[in-house]
Order: sequence, then structure tokens, then C-alpha cells
Amino acid sequence: MKSPPFAYHRAASAAEAAALLAEFGADARILAGGQSLIPLMNLRLASPGCLVDITTAADLDGCGSNGGGLDVGAAARQRSVELHADTLATAPALAEAIANAGQVPVRHQGTVVGSIAHADPSAEMPAAFKAQGGTVRVLDASGSREIASEDFFEGYFTTALAEGELVTGVTLDAWPTGSGHGFLEFSVTAESWPIALAAVLIHVAGGTIDRASVVLGGVAEVPLRRPEAEAILVGAAPGAAAFEAAAEAAAMGIEPLSDSFGSGAYRKKLARVMTRRALTAAAERVGGES
Amino acid sequence: MTVPKVRQHPEHLEWVGKSIPRVEDPKFLRGRGNYIDDYEVPNMLEVAVARSTMAHAKILSIDTSAAEAVPGVVAIVTSENVADHVNPNPDFGPSPERHTWHCLAVDKVRYMGEGIAAVAATSRAVAEDAAELIEVEYAPLEPLTDMHEALEDDAPLVHEALGSNIPFQRNFVFGDVEGDFAAADVIVRDTLRWGRSGGQPLETVGAVADYDAATGMMTIHANSLTLTHFLFTMANTLRVPSNKLDIHPHPAGGSFGAKFWEVKTAIIAGMMARVTGRPVKFLQDRLDNIANGDHHGSDRYYEVELAARSDGTMLSVRYKVVDNYGAYIQFGVGQHGNSLAQAIGPYRMNSLQYDLTAVLTNKCQQGAYRGFGSEVGNWILERMVDLLAAELDMDPVELRRKNFIGPEEFPYFIPTGNVYDSGDYEAVLAKTLELFDYEGWRRRQAEMRAEGRHVGIGVCTCQERSVFSATEFWFWFDEPVAAPVTSAPESVTLRVDPMGAVTATLYSNASWGNSAETMVAQFVAEELGVHPEDVTIVYGGTSQGMPATGPGGSRFTIMASGAVEGAAQKIRAKAAKIAAHLLEANEDDLVWEDGGFVVRGSPDRRKELAEISLAAHMFKHSLPEEIETGLEAAHVQDHPYTTMPNPERTDLGVFYPFVGHASHMVVVEVDPETGRVEFLDYTAVHDCGTVVNPRSVGGQVIGGTVQGLGTTLYEEFLYDADGVLRTPSFAEYLIPSALDSPTLRVGHNETPSPYTPYGIKGGGEAGRMMAPSAICAAIDDALGIRIRRLPATPERIVEMVDAKD
Repeated sequence: MKSPPFAYHRAASAAEAAALLAEFGADARILAGGQSLIPLMNLRLASPGCLVDITTAADLDGCGSNGGGLDVGAAARQRSVELHADTLATAPALAEAIANAGQVPVRHQGTVVGSIAHADPSAEMPAAFKAQGGTVRVLDASGSREIASEDFFEGYFTTALAEGELVTGVTLDAWPTGSGHGFLEFSVTAESWPIALAAVLIHVAGGTIDRASVVLGGVAEVPLRRPEAEAILVGAAPGAAAFEAAAEAAAMGIEPLSDSFGSGAYRKKLARVMTRRALTAAAERVGGES
Repeated sequence: MTVPKVRQHPEHLEWVGKSIPRVEDPKFLRGRGNYIDDYEVPNMLEVAVARSTMAHAKILSIDTSAAEAVPGVVAIVTSENVADHVNPNPDFGPSPERHTWHCLAVDKVRYMGEGIAAVAATSRAVAEDAAELIEVEYAPLEPLTDMHEALEDDAPLVHEALGSNIPFQRNFVFGDVEGDFAAADVIVRDTLRWGRSGGQPLETVGAVADYDAATGMMTIHANSLTLTHFLFTMANTLRVPSNKLDIHPHPAGGSFGAKFWEVKTAIIAGMMARVTGRPVKFLQDRLDNIANGDHHGSDRYYEVELAARSDGTMLSVRYKVVDNYGAYIQFGVGQHGNSLAQAIGPYRMNSLQYDLTAVLTNKCQQGAYRGFGSEVGNWILERMVDLLAAELDMDPVELRRKNFIGPEEFPYFIPTGNVYDSGDYEAVLAKTLELFDYEGWRRRQAEMRAEGRHVGIGVCTCQERSVFSATEFWFWFDEPVAAPVTSAPESVTLRVDPMGAVTATLYSNASWGNSAETMVAQFVAEELGVHPEDVTIVYGGTSQGMPATGPGGSRFTIMASGAVEGAAQKIRAKAAKIAAHLLEANEDDLVWEDGGFVVRGSPDRRKELAEISLAAHMFKHSLPEEIETGLEAAHVQDHPYTTMPNPERTDLGVFYPFVGHASHMVVVEVDPETGRVEFLDYTAVHDCGTVVNPRSVGGQVIGGTVQGLGTTLYEEFLYDADGVLRTPSFAEYLIPSALDSPTLRVGHNETPSPYTPYGIKGGGEAGRMMAPSAICAAIDDALGIRIRRLPATPERIVEMVDAKD
């Protein structure tokens, strides 16, 4: 389990990283926390010829409220984001997702943006990001652009990033007062990969849900939004009946693959159970409303 | 041999029984354990093995030209020329020529992950770079992983020379099975499936080999190869004279049985050292270890019948077993000898039948894993006892208690011919019930169930046989396979230096994580009156070594106690002669007391061991003529209690005589929607005779129980129908961590063995031999299901719940 040879460059800034990507082309990969990429290289499932390390790029670090939403820089470590007061205030679903990922030492190394950009459809942070909604900030040698969270994930480990682009950060849009979140996953052991997970947010006004977001992980090639479940929730009173119906709708029509962790049928069942429980937790967290 | 004499154990022991800190800890905790990964020699190359991507295929061609061109590559040996360099691996099975096993696949690959080429290069990374470039052309053959399919007439053959996929088959009948079944009021039957899991050491298997062409000496440093007194067989494989092979043990870094007889790694290292003329290290990585590590555990299907009277009295048991051994026979049938050693558990039964069919398939070969097959037997029998309790509507505790062999019935010969030396199962059960608060938990369970919670309680009462004898290597066959070997010895040399300091030399790969050095230090301290921390422990290589077997079958502590006792007796006998001379006393008037000799009745006339040893080393000509210089003694402890199998094999003799016992009680709460099992409480009480070091045994019980938890709930080497290993790394092969483990309450009961020094029995495998039974019973109780297949993964639990509804 030794990686093939590779070149290593340390970028001092986002612009330098973009320049290095332009120089080395498709052979280059961004190295952030390395918690996904390095094992893949050691297993020889990935063999980039060149790594561009952004962890010491000062303009990519940091996490904090931008007034409305939460900005997370590409070099910000998961643990620091997880424990940041602004995350807990603005994006508590993300904090909970991070807390479910790996162990504490892994989270001290890994980055939130790295996990999102890696786009593993079973992972926690992509699902929480998509559930809350926001934008991905992208840079290449010619300039910058933004991609909506909804459009970012395209397939297994595949995103809307073009060659030569790197993610410099993400912004999670704030949800208004009266919102609650739920994040639940099922894994066989405390440290193993989740089989299925649900990330949900609801907003309640006047005793009725007026906005809902339901995203499943581990059941499709991307973190999967479940509009049918959201439609059932919006206009309904929070409670067991609505949550069960929404959970059933969330699991209806998905066709998860089978692997050594569980069959597609088991994943489907877990998706329903996780969704119902996540919604129940979300309702309990809705502030000022019931 | 006849029955050994019954020992009178001393009332007071100074060191045996004390939880002294492990004497190994200072070196291991400082990172100075000298594991194979840390062991480096100048000019050393490293090896990587290219592994088969096919489960079953003919090898048509291998192209190494691109690999050879990688800078740093020194030599490559492949399937095409491996037989030019080495002979087949040692094989304990019958007719090895019919299922020949080489360190790299020859002609065809028989499982996914089997080695096809070994690359020696200046670093492991370079070796892996090159291994990746080796091109193999395969002609696929039909893969075979299912043991039942392997028995069909038209099944593909794993070894054509065998003519079938059955390397051995035997139906033993002990006692009047038919009569006992005819007399039964109730017979419970079930089919049960034990999935394949294995020990997962922190350090994988590794070896550093060095071949000296000038002397012809092959020196191998290895962290496996425990069965030391059979290592001469490796000389044949490596094509060196047996007196030119010297194997040095390094700490295993965890074995759990997995490193008991892993010869392949050392053979590959030795082969590459000879080919390159340079020292060579081969240390498996995790992918090698999981796919190709020769340590997969039992993989069995059972049809079982248990006969009883309507009052719950058990009469007889029939086991029909198929065991999927994988592609090769690494270690014969030891796994089932272990089951036979305690096939009636702690219950009084007069007959049993054991019908085994071993099959070969396209999976990795089996090795040993904590329990060595007896843990499977325990689970099977306990599953059946629980089924009988349900059938008779009896409390599972009461049913067990009713059938216990009583404390007055020992030594108790079971129908197979093996003996249970001593025991007090009722006392262990009583202690467990009290520590666990069984009545209290049944009350709380009722309250929690009333709240809609799925809470279950499980109980097991199981045996732990210890100290195997070598007869089990061949009693399966009418004619012994190689030779009817009769002992599995262990040796120790004790040297007292001129200052009175003691060095103990061990001759096997003793350090498995089993606190072997602490055990030896405590015995030396007990026997010679020194402090255990002052005992130096070293290891002899095989070329200067004495007969030794090493750990395995929970044997090392007992065997080492006998070896130390014997060597210490010799040292004291010589010391007594010297002391008598120095004290101008009659030897018969001397008493050994607190590490010195004293003249009986004259406490001021005393010589310490150090004074005696100084005289023994320095003052030869002041001593009586017959005393040689020095104070050193060696002792070979042969197996203390072996009797021969009869020719008909209706009596297998005594081969696993020191039999401990344990009871585990566990409370779980299960989520019926996800299948998650949570532990609310866990109590384990063990009786392994006299406890040498309670803390160390407690650690073994906890570690073994957690391994048993993994075996029960999720650990499995999973092959699909195409022979693809679906669990190639720890991302897929799941093992429990501390976060998944219950907090155990551990208790000890002590029923000394009448036949071993101090009354010790083995305890190293115990936790894993009990946990699956207790945990399954608790899950069943929580959900009203019956687990018949391990691992009982969350998904399988949900399926059982859904099937019930």
C-alpha cells in the first residue's frame, strides 16, 4: 500500500494553486486534508502525477458567518468548522454531519470543502451542504465563478468542476428563525462508512411547514434530493403522520446499489427510517414554533 | 503415558496470582519492541507480491519485462519459475501431493489474491510500482466458493489431482448414539452457519531473510512461525539442510492464532534472499494480509440434533459438519480436533456423533483463529441448548444448571476420550448470576419491554480446552499422515550469572500479545526468589534452540510453567550441593527459603542464590570435584497428559486435558428497524484454574470477548459467487473498536487443575469462545427471532424481524 511516485507543490495562495493546476493540467490534483485522496493513492486507485497542496494557502483558510450564511474556506479543517460558533448558529446540520464523519484525529486533518469536492455520495458533508443549500466558489487561472449546491454534484466522485478549476470555498445559506435540522446516518460500526443517511431541514410558520429540504446519502450516485418528500411536508403540520408519509415518499423510487455493507433493499429501508427520524429530530429543534 | 500424578499445590505463592505490571510494557510502550517492520539490516531489499485478480484461472503467460525495467528492481520470481527455487510449502493435510501448495501459484490461481509474482526491489514502493506492471494472461475457470456446490459431482475441481473437492471426511461415533436418541423424549434439530472471519493483528505477517552463500546458512527473522518444533519442514521447502536454517522470533504484534503457522511469508523472503544474494524483507500490507494471509478462520455449515428427556436431561448430540477450507490445506484438521475436545460442553452426555466433510473451494486457505474451531463448536452447542430450552419452555439458566457435570465427577472423561481435569461449573454460574444481577435484569427487562423497548438477555456456559497435544494432528486418519507425533513440547533455559541475576531463554515465538514474558518472569520469581522485573528474557534461534511449540491452543503459560519449574529444580539441586559445601552442612539439612538456602533450625546459617552462583562460577577448585563451573539448566516440558487414540478411533485419547469454563451474561437492546445492537450490560466470569496474573487474564477476556462480538455481529471475509473478495480492506472488513464495545465486568473463579504447576489452565482464547453464544441468545430474546447464521449483521437481523412479521 505505497503510492506511485508523484510530484508535490505547495501553493501559498489560491491564485498560485490555480496557476499550478493550469501548468500541470489533468495530471494535477488538489491536496487538502488528504483523508480521502491519500488512501486512494496508497490503494493505487488514484495516481495523480502532481499534488498541489493548498493547506498553507492563507486566503483559503477560515470559517465564519458572512452576515447571512456561513463561509467555509477550502483549507478549513473539519474539526475547526464543527466546533465554530458561527457553524452552530448558522449551519448546525453541517456541524452534526461533520461530527458523524470519521474520528476526531481524522477531522483535525480533513477539510469540509475537500469532502464536498471529493463528492462521495455516501459521505456526510456533501449531503448536509446540499440539504442546507448554498454555493461553491470556484477559481481557475482565468477567473472565478460560483456553482449552486444543487448543480454541483454530477455523479460518483464527479462534480461540475472543469479541468483547471479548484474550489476555494463554499457558502451555506442561512435558514430563518423557526427552522430545525436533522441529520441521521446508519453505519454498522461506530467508525465504518455510513450505509444510508438523511439530512433534512424544515421551517415552520403558524404550525405549518412552509419549507422543507430532504437529502439522502448512500442511495444514489449523488447526494439525492427528494422533492416528493418535500412536497408532502410543505403545507403539513409537523408530526408523526407527515413524517412517516414523507419518509415513505423519500424512499419510494430510489434504487440503491448493493455492496458488502448492505443490499439495495436494506439501504432503501434505512433511507426511510433515517428520514423519519431526522424529520422528528428537526421538528424538536424548531425554535419558537411547534 | 499414564495419568499424571495429582499435585499438591503450595498454599502460599509469592508471585503467581499477583497482577504485576507486564514486564514487556517498557519496551513495547517505548516503541522498542523490535517488530519486523522496525527491523532493518544493511543492504536490505524489500518484496511486494503481485496478486491474482481472478478467483480461478489457468495462468497462460506472465510478462515481467516492463516490471524489470523499473529502476531499483533487483529480481522477480513468478508462477512460471517459482518451482525452480523452492519446494512446496509444508502441509499437514493427508496426501499433500494431491493438493500441492507453493508460495506462489503454480499453473493456475485458486483464489483471488493468490500470489503470482514476487518482486524484490530497493524499496517497497518501487516493488509495488513494478508489481503493478506485471502482465498476466489468464484463461478463466469456473469459480467455486459455495461449499455445497463443491460437493456436487459436476463441480469444478480446485485441485485436479485430488479428483474431488474433498480432502478429508470422517464420521466418528462415540458411545451409544442410536440408543440415546431412541431413548429421548425430545429431539431438537437445526441447521446453523458460521461465517468466515479471522484475527486482525496490528502488524501483519513479515520476515527478514538473509542467505549466506559462503556458509549455506539461511537466517530468517520472523514474527509468525510459532509451531517452532516443526520448522525443520521449512528447510525442505527452502532447499537448505535442516541444520542450515536458523529462525529468530520477533514479537508478533498480535496474532490471535493467525500467525501460528504462517510459513509462506518467510518462504518468499527466504527464496528472494537466495535469488538476489541480499537480505530481503517481506512484510505483508493489509491488502496482502486480508486476501492472501493464510489466516481465515472456520467457515462451517452444521446440521445438528440434540436429544433430551422431557425433564431437560441431555442425552446425546449429533453434528454433521461441512467446513470450507478454501484453496489449500495449510494446517490439516486441527480446527475440528479442537471442537471434539469439548464436544459435549459442560453437560453430562454419554454419546455423540461427529461427521465432518472438509471441502476445498476458491477462497483463501484457513489458518488458526482464537478458539481454533472450538469457538464454533461452543456456539453450535449453546444454540442447541437454547433451542431445547425454548422447546421445553425452561429457563435457559436452569436447563444448563440441570445438566452440568458436577464438581465431584472430575476428572471426567467425555465420550471422545478426552478428559476434563477439574471444574466447578455451578460455582462459575452462581458468581456470574450474582455479578450480573440476573434476577434484577429480568425485572428491568420487563419494565423496558413495557415501554416498547426491545431488550434481551443472553446466557452461555462454555468450556475452554487448553494445551493441545500433537496426537490431534493425525487421529483423524486410520494411518497417521506423516508420523504419529506424541508431544508438543516447550523448553526454557535458566542461567544464573555470577551476580545472581537470572536470564530465561525461550525457544518459540512466545510474544503474541499474551504476556508470555510476564508469565515466565513470574514463574522464575516464584521458583528462584528473585523479583520478576529483574529477570531478563531472551529468545534463542532455532539453530541453537531446544524443542518448543510456542503459544496456540491456550498452552504457553502452562507449558512454560512446567519448563521453568523443571529448570529451576535443576538449578536448586546444584545450588544445594554448593551451599552445603559453603555452609559446611549436610545437604539434607538445607531448606530453600526466600531465594536462598538456610540450615534447618539455624536461620543465621544462610547462603543467598547470588553467593552460591558466584562460587559456582568463580571458585571451581574450592568446591567438590563433581561440581562443574556455572549455574545454568534447561528443561524440556513435554505435554503433561496425553494418551494414545485407539486403532478404531472410537476413543481419541486425552489430547486437550486442562479444561476451563466460563459463563457470559449480556443484555442488549436492538433497534428492529435498523438491526443495530447496543450493549446495556456484559458480565464474564472465567475459571482458568489458578490465575497467574488477574489483570493479564482480564485483558485476555476483554479482548477475546470484543473479538467474539465482531465475529457475531459483522466480521466476515465475504466472497461473492464469482469468487471476488468483497471485503479487501478495513473499510469493508469491519472490526469493533472501543466505541462499539460494552464495558465488561470480569470475574474469576479458580478451580485448580490437579495436573499442572500451581493448578493453572489456559485462558487466552476464552472470551471469543463464549461471546457469540451469549450475544446471539440476547438478540433472540430481544426480538423473538432465532439467529442461525453468523455474522448476524444488522441487515440479517432486520430480515429476520421482517420474516417474523
